[in-house]
Amino acid sequence: MPTLTIDGHTVHADHGQFLLAACRSAGIQIPTLCDHPAVEPYGGCRLCVVDVTRPEWNGWCKMVVACLFPVEDGIVVHTASTRVIEVRKVVLDLLLARCPDTPLVRDLAARHGILATSYVRNQQPTDCILCGLCTRICDRMGMSAIGSVDRGAGREIATPFREPPAACIGCLACAEICPTGFIRYESGTARRKIWDKDFDMLRCPRCGRSHITVAQADFFAGRGGVPRSYFEICDVCKRKDLAVAATRLACATETPAR
Amino acid sequence: MGDAMSGYSCVDHGLVDAILERYPREEPSLIQVLQDVQRAYNFLPCEVLTRVSRELGVPLSKVFSVATFYKAFSLTPQGRVIIKVCTGTACHIRGAPLLIEEVQRRLGILPGGTTEDAAFSLHTVNCVGACAMAPVVIVGDKYLGNAKAAGLAAHLTRGE
Ligand code: SF4
Ligand code: FES
Ligand code: FES
Repeated sequence: MPTLTIDGHTVHADHGQFLLAACRSAGIQIPTLCDHPAVEPYGGCRLCVVDVTRPEWNGWCKMVVACLFPVEDGIVVHTASTRVIEVRKVVLDLLLARCPDTPLVRDLAARHGILATSYVRNQQPTDCILCGLCTRICDRMGMSAIGSVDRGAGREIATPFREPPAACIGCLACAEICPTGFIRYESGTARRKIWDKDFDMLRCPRCGRSHITVAQADFFAGRGGVPRSYFEICDVCKRKDLAVAATRLACATETPAR
Repeated sequence: MGDAMSGYSCVDHGLVDAILERYPREEPSLIQVLQDVQRAYNFLPCEVLTRVSRELGVPLSKVFSVATFYKAFSLTPQGRVIIKVCTGTACHIRGAPLLIEEVQRRLGILPGGTTEDAAFSLHTVNCVGACAMAPVVIVGDKYLGNAKAAGLAAHLTRGE
């Protein structure tokens, strides 16, 4: 079990664990924007930088992103050294130049003492911080309908050819995971629209609630193993069924015991 | 068949067939395939990208990411000869702006543009690593060092 020192505390971490998780398990907070338990770490936002050193390095230390750095036995970590704070401030300052009107960015920057960017303010402000959560969750769902397009200052999240994406099933995972609400959609009882693509909604045969798109049901059923009807019934009704079944089971097991 | 997408619905699929034959049908082949497609068609036609995505088993969004990330790839048809004027620091100081102006004047296109007969495309690039012979213009595969505006005309003739 690797043993490390984080801000003066001795921490026992798991093999293969990333430093960010080890810090958190020790109760040390590190700001992050691209980290999420549902997806693999990405190292995109650079906010989670920390200093790593060893006693034998004679004061030399290296800066790493905690979310992607696997713990090592004997390392000494500083999560809030002057150097680390400076770097985080630069990152937030740049992010604020890109997204000057985005509450999430403004709040985080303000908490680090940055009230206005010292760089040139983006002339076309956007709410997208390029955290890559949407594309990673879309990959995770197995669709990969959206991706990162172009590069440098012009980079953005977009669909192939900037057209309604063929691969999209309208699950809204991207919009729900997006920390800034940048991905817009409309969802009603009959139709849903995201990424400029229209979807028909499916109504639960029991309660009539529109809960998923027809495309979602088709996709899940197409993966095999479970019949389509399973996906047609909404979660609320499924839970009810489960509760009823559990009660019956409980009564049935109680009876002989009497 | 009417293809609403573009005027390029009539791409020659034989070319991409031959390219796909050369590489294993897997994700690591992607960039090589795209490079060959770019060379064969002078750009990356949408339908070919869709085809490549299917054949290599790489999601179209990933193919599009790669296609838009690298400067070597273009999603619009390029001229048969591509002219790149270096605008890196050394070339800028030694007269790149005059060279761009000269090409623009002679061909009637702006940087990023292609002549109507698809003979030439003009692009500006950052340092091409040949600062000692700045300013540099690359016409097709030919590197012209110490380029002079007056000397460019000879390289901008059509039909050889
Ligand atoms: S759209 Fe949202 S989730 Fe996707 S990269 Fe931008 S901020 Fe992150
Ligand atoms: S959380 Fe580590 S780089 Fe974003
Ligand atoms: S600046 Fe043009 S070759 Fe370096």
